[in-house]
Amino acid sequence: MRIASLIIAAACALASTAATAQTKVTLWSHWAAEKIKRDFVEDAIRRFEAANPGVKIEAQWYEKTALYAALKTALRAGTAPDIFYAEPDQTEYMENNLLLDLSSLNWGGIEPWAKEIWSHKGKPYGLPLEAWTVELFYNKKLLADLGIKVPSSMQLDAAAMTDLVKKARVRNQTPMALGAGDRPFPGAHLTHEALLKRLGVADYDNLLTGKLSWSDARVVDTLRTLRSWIDAGLLPTTFTTLKLGESHSYFHTNPGAVLFLNGSWYTSRAFNPPDKGGQPPNFPLGIMKYPAMPQAVCNECRTISVGGSFVVNAETKNGRQAIAFLNSMATPETASRWLENVLVQTGIKADYSKVGGPHAGYFKELAATSQGARYYFGIPIQKMQGKQKEVFTQVFNNAFPAGTISVDDAVKQMNAAYAK
Amino acid sequence: MQRNPIDRQPWGAISAFLLPALTIYTAFTAYPVLRTIWNSFHRVLPRKEEFVGLANYAALAKDDLFWRAVGNTFIWACASPLAEVGIALFLALALYARVPGMRFFRIAWFTPVLMSYVVVGIIWVWIYNYDWGAANAILRTLGLERWAAAWIGDPKLALPSLIFITTWMWSGFNMVVLLAALHSLPSEVIEAAELDNCGWGAKLWHIIIPLIKPTLLNLLVLSFIGKMKIFDLVWITTKGGPLWSTETVSTYLYKRAFEWSTFDLGYPSTIAAVWFVIVLLAVLGLTRALRSREKLEY
Amino acid sequence: MIARAFLFIALGLYTAFAAGPFLWVATMSLRTTSEISRDHYAWPSTLHWEKFPQAWFNSNYSVYFENSLVVVLSAVAVLTIAGAMAAHCLARYRFRANRLVYFIIFSAIIFPPQITIIALFQSLVQYGLYNSKLGLTLVYISIQLPLTVYILESFFAQIPADLFDAARMDGYTEWQIFWKVSLPIALPAIATTVILNTILLWNEFLYAVVLITDDAKRTLPLGIQRFMGDQLEDVGMIATGLMIAIIPVVLIYLFFSEKLIQGMTAGAVK
Repeated sequence: MRIASLIIAAACALASTAATAQTKVTLWSHWAAEKIKRDFVEDAIRRFEAANPGVKIEAQWYEKTALYAALKTALRAGTAPDIFYAEPDQTEYMENNLLLDLSSLNWGGIEPWAKEIWSHKGKPYGLPLEAWTVELFYNKKLLADLGIKVPSSMQLDAAAMTDLVKKARVRNQTPMALGAGDRPFPGAHLTHEALLKRLGVADYDNLLTGKLSWSDARVVDTLRTLRSWIDAGLLPTTFTTLKLGESHSYFHTNPGAVLFLNGSWYTSRAFNPPDKGGQPPNFPLGIMKYPAMPQAVCNECRTISVGGSFVVNAETKNGRQAIAFLNSMATPETASRWLENVLVQTGIKADYSKVGGPHAGYFKELAATSQGARYYFGIPIQKMQGKQKEVFTQVFNNAFPAGTISVDDAVKQMNAAYAK
Repeated sequence: MQRNPIDRQPWGAISAFLLPALTIYTAFTAYPVLRTIWNSFHRVLPRKEEFVGLANYAALAKDDLFWRAVGNTFIWACASPLAEVGIALFLALALYARVPGMRFFRIAWFTPVLMSYVVVGIIWVWIYNYDWGAANAILRTLGLERWAAAWIGDPKLALPSLIFITTWMWSGFNMVVLLAALHSLPSEVIEAAELDNCGWGAKLWHIIIPLIKPTLLNLLVLSFIGKMKIFDLVWITTKGGPLWSTETVSTYLYKRAFEWSTFDLGYPSTIAAVWFVIVLLAVLGLTRALRSREKLEY
Repeated sequence: MIARAFLFIALGLYTAFAAGPFLWVATMSLRTTSEISRDHYAWPSTLHWEKFPQAWFNSNYSVYFENSLVVVLSAVAVLTIAGAMAAHCLARYRFRANRLVYFIIFSAIIFPPQITIIALFQSLVQYGLYNSKLGLTLVYISIQLPLTVYILESFFAQIPADLFDAARMDGYTEWQIFWKVSLPIALPAIATTVILNTILLWNEFLYAVVLITDDAKRTLPLGIQRFMGDQLEDVGMIATGLMIAIIPVVLIYLFFSEKLIQGMTAGAVK
């Protein structure tokens, strides 16, 4: 009996020391250069550590490509961090069982479609922190100078768009800033938003999953409309090599463009101080909807997708703490804080009408473009794999907007990529 | 070449001398080759490796991106030697004629070879820039505005533009080698030709070229091998784009191994294994074809 | 005479063509990016020498340079000794496996790097040498070994046999023969391979890009890309960085141009 109680006492002593010992949780993330998002995450870490003494989260910040490279090898070598940044198109993590099942997260506080995007074989694997839509930003002053008015629907029609392109070029201005130099998605925004409107959610999904042929008359027709804009000089001459960061300053600083087609996370760069790549002070920023396409089935359709998310390493020894940290972010308060500071949508449930803060006005405009919208969840490269993804990226992110591939050849390439 | 005719083999010494080199070779060259070939028959994932037999090879046969890359690499490896050695020959002959300032020219022309492909790539991306690059700027000042183009942005022009860069780099090197070869020619033969009243053209074709043929062939083969391996330059300039017009086997393999959304290293290993065989066969074929024409005529 | 003048002009044009890009980068390295954006081809109005220390100290260039120095010099040192030993042995001792071993090592010169890189990646990860300077150094030794053995073997083979016989008669051990007879005579060839290997490894990119991911461990060719961030391309600083990368090689070339040319053309001239 005495020995038993000694053992129990020893066990209790050990347990309590274990409980008060510091648990170190490692976290690797993108956004090294995006101050606003980085500050948000670091703030969330501080709040969590304050609420959970004994747990310390050590964050390491990277640029996206460097992060992905480091993770690929670290996961293979078994030296990956407990929590890391990931985006839903990285299905290779889930397919290789490298992520911890997050079913025990507080999913009631998260948008169901966001949970769906991160689900693989019925189980969820990521906290969808960032969500974004594709928005058409514009320079109010330049647009007014061209004599073009945005209707109350906040959406130009195709004819007005063609007109805009012509008028801007006459004045030697670039109608739309866009650059595919260092990312696989910006150029494709031009095409996929147009196709979504023309086809509607169901057929657009069929198109991306290979059930609808790219030779469909509606697809070809839409591509021809886009091609006419491109041929009229829609995009910068340096489109192919223009980097993402450069395309932002191309729009708002130098040389300045009328429009800018970008994800709604535009603000996380634009609202930085000007010497860090942000907008000039008092920049006349406006937002409108992507132009209506002729004969479209669903001009109010738009894409929303999940961006930066956090996932947990399947081999972590600190699973409990990691999940607790993620849960600490799955609350309406966190969502409001994200919205007010980062000014991008989020996959966490939030009351958009209650968003305050210094940029509340901007957020109201952003919300206005999404009014009455029907959503399609995910950008094309999040839906495609392997060869289709590669061909789509080369054709629609790079070549088609650059005008170096004809509509017929583009269609042929895509059909060939989907053929079994 | 004299060999030391000792009869008793000091095996201890021999093994000791060969050990460091052979250890490194086995660990870092021989073993990886074998392991890559082994990988090519498996799906190689982080936690497991499953045997798939010839599945990867079957997929490779149908992979048109791979064959496109092979085509591009071969075009490069065949066009480059001709350009590089041809220009080099002209330059070497020019210098052989004892133009003043020879040493200066020699040094200046050799510099491109010293620079890393990374440096060369960055500089030439600037030169090829559509708006302010030197290439288009020169064309515009010469009034040839029509010919200004997006040199590495246009799928039809990208590969020739890159070939132009390697030609720029290696012509100087080849020139220096040929010059050394020319200088090592027996002067009696040339003098004899002069006495025979040979014209410059005939002298060139019938005497000089046959005499330096071994060197010429060596340079062609070296250039061919070098272009079959090329990676750095493409990676810095176009990364295989636009539309796979500059995709080489090395860039395609890198992408499949490290950039596509998969952890599988088996398929990229298959690419490596097949390419290995293709390169060996090509080099063997080339040297055999060239060697049969290597007859010195006096 | 017209022909000669024409020839001279052609040569002058070619020289501009060969050295032009290098000169352009040199001038850009002394100008700021905004000056360059105004006129890409102007001669520097003020020589901004301060950009060099800026790149060196503020942008980790000193780290990259040091990494390159450490990796390349250690690799070349080990490579030269191991290569010389193997070359001496293959050239001077007759044994049945001699030509076979020579062929095996020599044939690796044509191997495309792709055949080894994936497995090297796997091995290094397995043994914890991934993303380490040691791992990269070992790989660098292995990739230049075949060429070094090839160059040195043909040189060692040309040393007259009498020297070895005499040494042996004086009671030298095999190792002493290598160290005191072969090496000193072969010093020119060895110097050549050292210079050659240093330049080739200094500029090496593919293996470094695959095997190093940490910014603090990057070698210079990888580090040059540091200025190619995702904001506006800082052309001026990139040019300065390029000059820092080029200058060591140019210096080696200026001092050792004869040796270098000999080395790089070794084997190409029959």
